[in-house]
Amino acid sequence: MVTRPSSSEQKRLLYWLGERLIDYRLPVAIGACLVTAFFAYCALQLQLVTSFGELLPQTHPYIKIHNRFAHTFGGANNIMIMVEVKEGSIFTPEVLNKIWRMTEAVDTIYGVNHNQIDSIAHRTVRYLKVAAGGTMRATPVMLGEVKTQEQAEEIRRIVHSAENIYGLLVSLDDKAALIRANFIEGRLDYRRIFDEVNERVVQPFRDDNTEISVAGEPRLYGWVYHYAGDVLLIFVLAYCIEWLLRYLYFHDWRGALRPTITGVIAAFWGLGFIYLIGFALDPLLLVMPFLITARAVSHSVQMHDRYYEEYERHNWDKRKAIVAAFAELFVPTFSGITTDALGVLVILLVPVVMLQKLAITASFWIFAITISELLLNPVIYYYLKAPEPEIVLVRDRGVFRRAVATAVDALLGPRGRFVVLGAWVVAALVGAYFVRGLIIGDPTSASPLLWPESPYNVSHQRIQDKFGGVEPLIVVAEGLDRDAMKDPATLRRMERFQRTLERDASVGYSFSLADIIRAVNAVFHELEPKWGVIPNNWVDIGGLFFIYFSGSPPSETAKYVDPSYTTAHVTFFCKDHKGDNIRRIVRRCKEFIHRGQLEDLGLHVEERDGHTTVGRVNPEVRWERAGPSWMVSTAEHAGEGPFRPGDRIVQVGKTPVRGLQSFEAAMSVETANATLIDFGLERGGTVTEVTVVAPWKAVFKLAGGLIGVLAAANEELFRNDVLMNLLGFGTMYVIVLFTYRSFAAPFFLLAPLLLANLLVNAYMAARNIGINIHTLPLVTVGVGFGIDYGLYILSRTIEEIRQRGDVEAAVRAALLTSGKAVSFTALSMTLVTALWSLSSIRFNAEMGFLLALWMAISYIGAVTLLPLLLVGLRPRFLSRVAPQYETMR
Amino acid sequence: MRWSLTTAIVLVLVYSVVLILFDEFVAKPWRRRRWQQRAAAGDTAARARTEHARRGQADSGG
Repeated sequence: MVTRPSSSEQKRLLYWLGERLIDYRLPVAIGACLVTAFFAYCALQLQLVTSFGELLPQTHPYIKIHNRFAHTFGGANNIMIMVEVKEGSIFTPEVLNKIWRMTEAVDTIYGVNHNQIDSIAHRTVRYLKVAAGGTMRATPVMLGEVKTQEQAEEIRRIVHSAENIYGLLVSLDDKAALIRANFIEGRLDYRRIFDEVNERVVQPFRDDNTEISVAGEPRLYGWVYHYAGDVLLIFVLAYCIEWLLRYLYFHDWRGALRPTITGVIAAFWGLGFIYLIGFALDPLLLVMPFLITARAVSHSVQMHDRYYEEYERHNWDKRKAIVAAFAELFVPTFSGITTDALGVLVILLVPVVMLQKLAITASFWIFAITISELLLNPVIYYYLKAPEPEIVLVRDRGVFRRAVATAVDALLGPRGRFVVLGAWVVAALVGAYFVRGLIIGDPTSASPLLWPESPYNVSHQRIQDKFGGVEPLIVVAEGLDRDAMKDPATLRRMERFQRTLERDASVGYSFSLADIIRAVNAVFHELEPKWGVIPNNWVDIGGLFFIYFSGSPPSETAKYVDPSYTTAHVTFFCKDHKGDNIRRIVRRCKEFIHRGQLEDLGLHVEERDGHTTVGRVNPEVRWERAGPSWMVSTAEHAGEGPFRPGDRIVQVGKTPVRGLQSFEAAMSVETANATLIDFGLERGGTVTEVTVVAPWKAVFKLAGGLIGVLAAANEELFRNDVLMNLLGFGTMYVIVLFTYRSFAAPFFLLAPLLLANLLVNAYMAARNIGINIHTLPLVTVGVGFGIDYGLYILSRTIEEIRQRGDVEAAVRAALLTSGKAVSFTALSMTLVTALWSLSSIRFNAEMGFLLALWMAISYIGAVTLLPLLLVGLRPRFLSRVAPQYETMR
Repeated sequence: MRWSLTTAIVLVLVYSVVLILFDEFVAKPWRRRRWQQRAAAGDTAARARTEHARRGQADSGG
């Protein structure tokens, strides 16, 4: 006869703790209730808010530029309103007056930057008017409502001859006009903006002949808030289905109630904490709390199942059953919770405030499960009436149990092992093939947050079709001194920049100060086309700017150039914000900027033996000494400069240089604000330092606008994605290592998880779901959550092997006990998580489905691959437990 | 369909209470009666289960 080794002897401390928790149940319950009540109060104060600034990686250089200039040159929060007529053109008194009134209405919307509204009916959109006597002044295109068709025709003539209006604010077919408004970041109230745009701008002006389309980030988030109410419907459905499934599984209402208590307590703690640290819930991250609650419920189902098992084993002694269930499941539960909580913390690496707050709050919330699931568990079970014994008996002899037993027999049979392992190999190969298509950033031109046929995406597409591109990329041209924007070379460089980037298929059109100066010059010369160029000297340029801007207050001209003419911008309106396109456009910008600087320095560099080497020096760029420095000069005595062909550039400023890429990066950093640039040149084995005066008046700096901030976010995610995955898996490895005191044990648990990770990433790639600021936290949480199933099965296997001595018998017993509960929780959680597919917010629906898939694959890995690996490889950390069995014979 | 938070909470509470009452006053008595009938009809498994449960209830003071 086999004597059962008492596992309580080995877990004496945990049994002692379980007993004490029951002894001191009243103070423990009162303390927990008081703290929970406090957190519940805080949780009820929570708001659904999206803070745009917190979505951005604030330490990224692009965001620093965006933050500096968003209030003048325009930020990422633009709303585009397109007025389109079905019959005729917009140049009728009726339609023009509609545009006038709509523009006025836009000016009254909360948070709008009054100086950054672009519309033919707004005071800031002007054209150059030649008055009697040859004087010129910039006049608004529309000075008031239009009364006659003649006035409308006059406006048509003005629009058609204004390069900064025709095609930009009025479509080339005269059927649509665009009203573009920028919103102040600190005053973004998406819900209010959404309502006010509908009430004041859309509804009063839409009729049979007039279609109004609205797009832009504030509008997009407005729609997201509009649909956020769906979450309640999903919550109620998930709750009801989960209750019913748990009731059917346990045949007892306590089995349905107990996990709910855990979930609710953890949710109060988590939500309360979110409020306490000054965070708010983002409607796009509502899947996350749902997922954490699902995990809390999942742990609780395990505990409840074990409680019933122990209740029967301890001859219906409630107290013994409570303590035994607590002590036996403490290790896998605590280990699972810790893995989940620390796994989420790796998101802290991404320097995005929202993600960092999310990492902290999600981690706290998951740790709070420890309170509701472990600390309070013995107390709650003690106060709950014990289940009727027949319920406990019937629960373990039902259809589900029989199905699990059949599946376990099939799995551990010789054919089952072969089929399952073969299926995993095939799945891994298919996953490896598809995962190559996974991209960082948005994979589609429509917003992936909403469904393609949603009103927002339809409007967005309509505006794109009419105007080519509406998503701005703002490149700032920052002068090194006052009046830098009057420098002809700088303006010409801006113009060349525009023409170069416009060749990219994803750039619709562009706008800069150069466009204004060319248009003004042409008007100044009686619209003679040959004068539509940038003048050759500062004086003429200054004069033309004076003519154009003299009638406007600085607040209006600031959107083109700052009052001291030091800084202006080149804005590219892009057709979409696909991750790949953003990367390509930004790369082209960088290449243009770098090439321009080398041109000014007269340098042609190439990479030789991994070093940046001067290949050719342009003899037309002539230099002269200016004290200890070199400067480009047109003086007679000017000649050769400091650079010679064959020189190796080893340093720029303080930044060491190796290959061409590092040279480009060094130039970008070191020339950002410097008028003097130090170059470390290696010539004939000796390194010499030369200082040159920057031969340019302004430096182009990336990047603002929606495309700029998305580029920054994508770059940060790309930089941290691999590191986060490594740290996430590393954290899990360390926790499992300490849990089982074995270096091998983590590999058995992580192998199914790595495969699940691969398959889910492959699914994302195949379904065109990119890694972005919203998908990243959910994907990271999914990695951590997959390990729980394996922990329960492995812990039970170790427990069983102490009794049975045989690995296969222990694995079989583990699958029939813990595996059964794991199967139930995985299947039910997968089902309710998949309910998110019903959401009107495409992002939530796709993320819900993705996480359901993640749970399902992790579960299949934990109940198929893990047992087969244990049975097939018989690891030492299992066999070293088995000998105790021999001594107990 | 748009619900308020209060509506959602009331719904889930009512649902939970209805399920608990159903279990206590409908499902459990019906299940017990069915076992007893089967046991009386000579089903050995049902008789063993009923006996086991009765013993358990006596042990746990239920």
